[in-house]
Parts: sequence; structure tokens; C-alpha cells
Amino acid sequence: MFNLTEEEIERYSRHIILPEVGGAGQQKLKEASVLVVGAGGLGSPVLLYLTAAGIGRIGVIEDDVVDLTNLQRQVLHTTSDVGKPKVESASETMKQINPHVQVDVYHERLNKDNIFALLDRYDIVVDGVDNFPTRYLINDACVMKKKILVEGGILRFMGLIMSIKGGETACYRCVYEEPPPPGTVPSCAEAGILGAVAGVLGTLQATEVLKIVTGVGEPLYNRLLQFDAEELRFHEVNARRNPRCPVCGEKPTITELVEYDHSCEIQAP
Amino acid sequence: MNADGSPEMLELNESAPSRGSGGVIELVVQGRPCLYDGDPDLGSLLEYRGENSLYVNVRINDEVLDQRDFENVPVREGDRIDFLYFMGGGLFVQPDRRRN
Ligand SMILES: [Zn+2]
Repeated sequence: MFNLTEEEIERYSRHIILPEVGGAGQQKLKEASVLVVGAGGLGSPVLLYLTAAGIGRIGVIEDDVVDLTNLQRQVLHTTSDVGKPKVESASETMKQINPHVQVDVYHERLNKDNIFALLDRYDIVVDGVDNFPTRYLINDACVMKKKILVEGGILRFMGLIMSIKGGETACYRCVYEEPPPPGTVPSCAEAGILGAVAGVLGTLQATEVLKIVTGVGEPLYNRLLQFDAEELRFHEVNARRNPRCPVCGEKPTITELVEYDHSCEIQAP
Repeated sequence: MNADGSPEMLELNESAPSRGSGGVIELVVQGRPCLYDGDPDLGSLLEYRGENSLYVNVRINDEVLDQRDFENVPVREGDRIDFLYFMGGGLFVQPDRRRN
């Protein structure tokens, strides 16, 4: 009936038993392809859960190597991975969790020259980056290519998540029109992040992907959800499309990709 | 919110200036009803709560403010105020006063 082996049916039995998912939903997961940008704090739980869930093909793009300071939250990597490219460590862990998943690794930085070609290869994009220039690049490209993007951000004890159907629902710029312009910011500092907060937000991002692929429930479209771990509260903000949005508004001023300066990061301690 | 659902007095941040003399108004801040007795402008409210005005976009009654001179934005009885924090990831970049 479905293109699932005996082993897969057993492996995914707790999905299949959910009437909303069933064999048909599991089959959709197997046929799906997802690009995860960043294999760090958010990327770790996203990749772990998408792999375990049996997404057929997962792309991981990340140019960084594993550092000791990553291990407090980037649970995809282990102590023995320090110094290794994160994509390598990620794909090793993923293959151990679920050998059925095809993992495409890109040990490079996402930029305006490679992003469109990459987006073409995947159904859904998950943003797990740690900087504003790449965040805006991904948003704009997903709006232009009408891709589904699950956006996420974390800082200190807080996080945000928002799902975006490019060109149809509110995008990141509908809420945060512009990033901080380069050169006007005197310095960048590590503000810190409680490791488990990355786990909360990344797991929510993975949940959104699984829902969108299987068609279960309502995606977080036109809504922005903020998480505050200190008070353990979620706060949802209605984020409908902004007619003034520079990329998806009535008179878009951004019609080709812009890449903001990364200089800020370089100055970071 | 108090246990009975009535609004609570907004907690004063330690470093905020003394309370204003504008009387008490009821606001809905981050989805929670609260009473506020500081100066009735957004800049004072941010300071009162200990929010750094550089880190947030603000929406009042679902409208995104297209200005960042928050001290010139009045807050009125019943306003629904949401703070949209800039969260870039582990790395923090200070948003600037981009429209000034
Ligand atoms: Zn938009």
C-alpha cells in the first residue's frame, strides 16, 4: 500500500498509529525534502527530530567547525567532534539515528550566489542561523521563490518562531523590516543563551515542519510566537502581511537579493 | 494577572526613574493586563519595564510603529502593547535607531 518497508513501519509505528498521520502521512515525510540552514543551537534539535521522523532527504548547510563552547546547547555534536566540520559531525549523528534518511551536506556559507540553487532542491527551509545578514537573505529568497520557511531565533532566555509561506503569508520583514545596518553598530557582544531554550525553539521548528509536510493542524502562519523561559510563557502576536513590507508588500523595494555586511560578526569577541 | 484575573500592578524595574504623576492606567502588555502609573509614553514604559529600547520593535494595538522615538509615542488606557524582540541567534547584534 505504502512504499514503506517492514522495518520502517515498525520504526515509525508511533507516528503511523496517530490517525492524523497514519501510513499516508509517514509516506509524505519520506517523500519530503528539507533544507536546514545551520547545524548549531537550533539546527541540532531540528536535525535530530527530522531525522528521527523519517524525512526522506535533509540538506544541512553550515561552514563552521565544532567548538567546545558549542556543546552546551548544540546537542548534535559531541566532545570528540571538537574541531570537525559541523556538517560532518551532523551527518554522522543523523545516519546513526536513522540510516534511511539521505543527508546532503554543504560545508559552505549560504550566500546570494548559492541560495536559489539550493532552495530549488528542497520543499521546506528551516532557519537556524546565528546572524542577521543570513536571516534576511533566507527570508527574501524564500519570498522570491515562494518557499515555505520555518523561521526561528533565540537570545538569552528567549526565542521566537514563525512559519512563512513565501509570498502568501507574513514574512520576517513584515515584522522586522530592516536588520541593523552595518557600520552603525559599534560592537557586537555575546549575550549568551540558555542551552535548553535552543532545544525548545528548535523542537518547535521541527514540529512545524512535520505538521506542514503531513498537513496536520494549523501552521504558525501570520503569527509570531515568542517564548520567555524566565517566566515560562509563550506570547503570540498576530503578524499579518505588512503592506509596507520591502520584500512582500504592495510596492516592494527589494526585488533582488541583498546581502548585508557580516562585519559585525567578525568584530565579535 | 492576580489569581482572581484582575490586573496586577506592573512591576517597576529597579533602575527605572521614580513613578510618574499621570495616574494609573490599565494596559495589556505582552498579552497580560496590567496597571501602569508611570509617565504615559512608550519610552517611559520601556524604561519602567527595564526593556532596552534598542532591542525591540513595538506594536500598539497590532500596528507596527514606524518610528523609534518612543518617548513621543503616547500610551493610553486600554492599549495593547507587544514587544517584538530582535533575536538573531546566539550572536547578538544591537539594532540601531534605524529611522532616525
Ligand atoms: Zn513581508
